[in-house]
Amino acid sequence: MLTSLKLMIRRTRLLPYYITALCSLCLVASLSAAEVNNEKLQVHGFVAQGLVNANNSNYINDDESISLELTEVGLNASYQLNNDFRIAGQAVYLNGGNRYHAGLRLDYLLLEWDAFHNDVWQARFYFGRVKNNHWLYSSTRDIPFARPSIIIPQVVYFDGFRDVAVGGDGAAVKLSYSDDVVGEIDFNFSRGKSAISDEQSDVVIGKFALGHLDHDLDMQASVYWRPAFSSWRFGISALDSTFTYERAQVDNFFDSDFVFQFYTANALYEGEFWQFSAELFQERFVTKGFYFPSFHRDDIGQGYYLQVSYKLDKNLTVMTRHEKFYANKDDTNGLELTQSTGGLVPSYFGFHHDNMIGLSYDFSSDFRINAEFHWMEGGARLSPIIQPDPIANDSKNWQVWAIQFMYWF
Amino acid sequence: MLFSPQVYAINIISNITADTASLSVNQLRRIYSMRQIHWKNGTPIVVYVLPSKNPLHQKFCKEQLRLFPYQLDRIWHKLTFSGYGVAPIEVATQQALIKAIKSTKGAIGYVENLSEVTDVNVIKIDD
Repeated sequence: MLTSLKLMIRRTRLLPYYITALCSLCLVASLSAAEVNNEKLQVHGFVAQGLVNANNSNYINDDESISLELTEVGLNASYQLNNDFRIAGQAVYLNGGNRYHAGLRLDYLLLEWDAFHNDVWQARFYFGRVKNNHWLYSSTRDIPFARPSIIIPQVVYFDGFRDVAVGGDGAAVKLSYSDDVVGEIDFNFSRGKSAISDEQSDVVIGKFALGHLDHDLDMQASVYWRPAFSSWRFGISALDSTFTYERAQVDNFFDSDFVFQFYTANALYEGEFWQFSAELFQERFVTKGFYFPSFHRDDIGQGYYLQVSYKLDKNLTVMTRHEKFYANKDDTNGLELTQSTGGLVPSYFGFHHDNMIGLSYDFSSDFRINAEFHWMEGGARLSPIIQPDPIANDSKNWQVWAIQFMYWF
Repeated sequence: MLFSPQVYAINIISNITADTASLSVNQLRRIYSMRQIHWKNGTPIVVYVLPSKNPLHQKFCKEQLRLFPYQLDRIWHKLTFSGYGVAPIEVATQQALIKAIKSTKGAIGYVENLSEVTDVNVIKIDD
């Protein structure tokens, strides 16, 4: 107890130095970026720090206290090797409390090949660690000023799957077409796999599973279309991925295979004052094994979110969002889930809903503050997803508020 | 009238290597949304902009590109922070922008007052 208290005090004392060091690093990089940015080399980055609190849930931390675990720092560079090839990479430091494990990550590191281009067509290939570019906000989910809110829609961008969903090691292709009649069409395809660390594995399957989780190759594709000179853009995407769990020598769980398929349709409207976005999805989650060797579950989940924002003046924006998700479309109240687990998992783990309001204020072209409040209902988007924790999350209704400052260059 | 401030149109200028006399609105949009990255003669296009809150940049986006500045910011942020592309190079002032256009092969940008600019290619935008 005394040791924990000392550790907490030490951590609290260190925090101002830690944040100062981060901001100093960002300032130095920002000043240097202004000097080095030219037609071949570009350097960009961001730093964001916030306060966050979740009540009646361990979504952020176990003691439900107000937390500074809302830190996001990133630095990237891009270098044009010649007319056809470019290299680019980005490192990020993320701390989101229990949402995902805290630490440094190599976000992307890729070689781009501009294989073909003319006035209307572009075909580019990417090799290395590439980001998921298929959903509306998948490639900018960790970029505080390029996503719609601090906590993005968990129904699609579930934090527990962040490290797997954000991208992987493999290849991607982007084919773009644009003209005055059809408008803009983008086709994206990627194939890759993510290395899952023990910490990430704990977030997904829980600490009591002692074996190792592996991500096999996944395949993703998407198509986006913006009609000529339109304020609307529409898209669809599909994902097919598999995972295997290899049990430890001494383990409560068994060798298993998981299949995850995810299909989305989205729309985006960008007006002068109003913005609107929505994503609908259907997912299929198959579990073979894990709880006992012959276990088999094949759930089809469905969900959506609708999001509207309005510019009150040139710097102040207000937004609201409504989200709904059912882990099993045939068990929307979660009663079958409770029955199938012998009453161990409460019915509210069968769904996740959220209503949120938020404000965003731009102090300048590169400095912003965001604030938001969420009314959450249900536990289907709380980690660990494979083994829900009804003791830490003993409430159907829970709330999150967050406030975050962000600077970018 | 003599004492009222003179209102200038926004002019699109490029480095003389661009060798392009006119562009359609959609071509200009493609260039600024980083969808067209080479001039007709094969020279890579280097796009220069002023900060997004700069009044001239805002006017350029609305009047010339018929886009809102935040739409361009969103496209550029997505490219820059996902690794899938590069954003235009941002400079702080119009003078810095003109200097960059003059000295950078394939560069494109915008100015308010053409009479202060020499040794650049002026591009007409067709409706």
